[in-house]
Amino acid sequence: MIDYSKKRFLVVDDFSDFRSSVTGMLRQMAVQNVDTAANGDEALAQCRRNAYDIILHDYNLGAGKNGQQVLEELHHAKLISPHCIFVMVTAESSQAMVMAALECEPDAYLTKPFNRASLQQRLDKLVERKNALKPILDALEKNDQQTVVTASEKAMAALPRFAPQCQRYLATALESLGKHAELEKLLEGLVNDRPMPWALVALADHWQRIGQLDKAEALYNKAIGLFPMVPALYDGLAAIAAAQGDTAKAQEYLQQGIRISPNSLSRQAELGKLAQANDNHEQAIRAFRQAVELGRNSVFRDPENHLALATSLTDQAGDSSLNSRALVEIRQTLGELNKTWKDDPVLAVRSDLTQARTLAKTGQTDEANRLAQAAAEKITTLDKFFSAETALVVAAQLRNLGQDKQADEVLSTCAEMYGDDPKVMAGVASQTQDPAILSAGAQAQTWNREGIRCYQKKQFPEALELFRKAWNSQPRNVSFALNTAQSLLRLLAAQPDASLKEECLQCLQQVRSMPESDHRYERYQKLCATVDKL
Amino acid sequence: MSDDEASLDFSTVIASTVHDMKNSLGLLMQAYTEALANLPADASETREHGIVEYESLRLNGMLVQMLGLYKLQVHQLPLRPTWMEVDDFLEAQLARHDNILRARHISGTYTLDDPGMMGFFDPELVGSVVSNVINNSIRYAKSAIHLHASMDEEQLVLSISDDGAGYPQVMIDKQSEYVLGIDMSTGSTGLGLYFGERIARLHQRNGAKGHIQLSNDCALGGGEFRIWLP
Repeated sequence: MIDYSKKRFLVVDDFSDFRSSVTGMLRQMAVQNVDTAANGDEALAQCRRNAYDIILHDYNLGAGKNGQQVLEELHHAKLISPHCIFVMVTAESSQAMVMAALECEPDAYLTKPFNRASLQQRLDKLVERKNALKPILDALEKNDQQTVVTASEKAMAALPRFAPQCQRYLATALESLGKHAELEKLLEGLVNDRPMPWALVALADHWQRIGQLDKAEALYNKAIGLFPMVPALYDGLAAIAAAQGDTAKAQEYLQQGIRISPNSLSRQAELGKLAQANDNHEQAIRAFRQAVELGRNSVFRDPENHLALATSLTDQAGDSSLNSRALVEIRQTLGELNKTWKDDPVLAVRSDLTQARTLAKTGQTDEANRLAQAAAEKITTLDKFFSAETALVVAAQLRNLGQDKQADEVLSTCAEMYGDDPKVMAGVASQTQDPAILSAGAQAQTWNREGIRCYQKKQFPEALELFRKAWNSQPRNVSFALNTAQSLLRLLAAQPDASLKEECLQCLQQVRSMPESDHRYERYQKLCATVDKL
Repeated sequence: MSDDEASLDFSTVIASTVHDMKNSLGLLMQAYTEALANLPADASETREHGIVEYESLRLNGMLVQMLGLYKLQVHQLPLRPTWMEVDDFLEAQLARHDNILRARHISGTYTLDDPGMMGFFDPELVGSVVSNVINNSIRYAKSAIHLHASMDEEQLVLSISDDGAGYPQVMIDKQSEYVLGIDMSTGSTGLGLYFGERIARLHQRNGAKGHIQLSNDCALGGGEFRIWLP
């Protein structure tokens, strides 16, 4: 007999009758501690206050977040421990299962209506399983992936009935540790005879990540033959097609995935981007509209979708003028953007430029110019600069609106900050032939490359000298500044020196305008923390 | 009739209505269970209560089946096979019918050829088939329903048997026509067999497909339903 009297429960359902009925069943199981919530936001708030042992969550809560969205937010905000049992309660399980992202599945589904015996039977099994797998869950909680591996292997051998669960923990841990060969061996064994959808997706995704696109594509297709209702398989095929430059095919695959599961924000946003690239404005509008809508009650909402929706609506008009319905939607979309992210000056600039383009299209040239000019001026005062991708978009917008000078300046800053990435420079070159912008950083890039070579050969003083030269020549370049700072820190760790520390602080100060979305942002923060500790 | 009306897709209407009906029925059953809990034990164990409980479970089973058949038709029934502990699965099936079994004084038991048996199948879909069969058995069983799991070479076989009068001979003789959906003259029973066969067939391995079979030669003396899962 499992003792439920000490366990803390949360019951989430929009019907109060259902909440009280389940609470009644739990009381019969000697449960003393039951909280309830009527919607997703309440559930999240409760989880912020309390750590629950067991959550019974209805999937379909009417308006607002559904159960899957709540589960994803709980994971995202780290409000749910691996020890917690999350049961998705559904009127019809197949619908909820299709919507569940493979990496964020509930521990079990329970189909309504159910009686106390069914509830208790299911919970007994889940508690038993979580207890048996405690060493794995403890390691997961500490994010100690190496221990997850050893604990999973041990549990698989000792408890064959829990082996399927352990294999999944093991695969995820091996992937995050980058143990490619072991992961591949495990998954190949699993997909050979009785393949489960997650294992097929995991193996094909793995091949796709390491660039074995042909093998990945064949497996995705084989898996679709077996399980046509798993949207992650279409995501994989779309990613391969996109990587091979076939954006039309990629768009088709994503559309297939969306037909199965239309409520995924990230999938809709991805489809919108592909449709935009394919000049399929209708589809882009539909996808971004969905993404905006889905983001409305989600922490995963993304202002890029608002901007992209407004842009696609304007694009759709082509050379003709915008109809009034599109105009209303653009105004609403940008209005919502400005209101929701009102403290983000970078977004405000981008919203204004998008708005200016719409105005220009409707013949309100003076108004458009005024707005464009104001936006151009605001750019010079921004604390944070754009990401490389955004900078290129903004430069093009400025040029279209007749702000050539500011467009060049944005390109020039972009080239300086991100110019060590050839892809960024290709983007810059597609918008300007100005040699002052295109070759300003060439010499510094050579120094930086040589510096990296020296650093790898552990010739640290030589490396520092080269990084420093690169940085002095292009002080806003993120890589040069971080490389210089890192080399300085290496010296400082061995021997404190006030002037070197000052120089290091300057390097980091110089790149503070890098956007948080930059892949080097984490490294930047780590370096800042290290200097602080000196 | 306008074009709009003509293009109304009736199967979609059925699907969404069934969905609402299921929700409605769920609330109804909950309210009923709650009302029952407030009564003294002797007042709650009447024949009428048993009927309400049984018929609502049966209604629910029919709705699940109808929705399942619709989704099969439009190729939207996802198969999510997973490794299951078979004892856990059988226990869960009996638990679903716990109230009604007790109300009718029918014993629900299960056995396995091997206590640690694992099965590879979609527990939701197979569960809905087994649940409907149990429901049907409850109607005919005198005092016992028994679930059993065994292996037939590489296939898992789940059987549900009772101590009732058994299936009518004509059903046993013509079962291949029922399972193929050729003969629907018996109404819901025939449809149930068709649904069971379709779900069984979704389970495939190395070219072998699942199937179902009816017989009257089981230890309890009544009818027996078997489902093979490769």
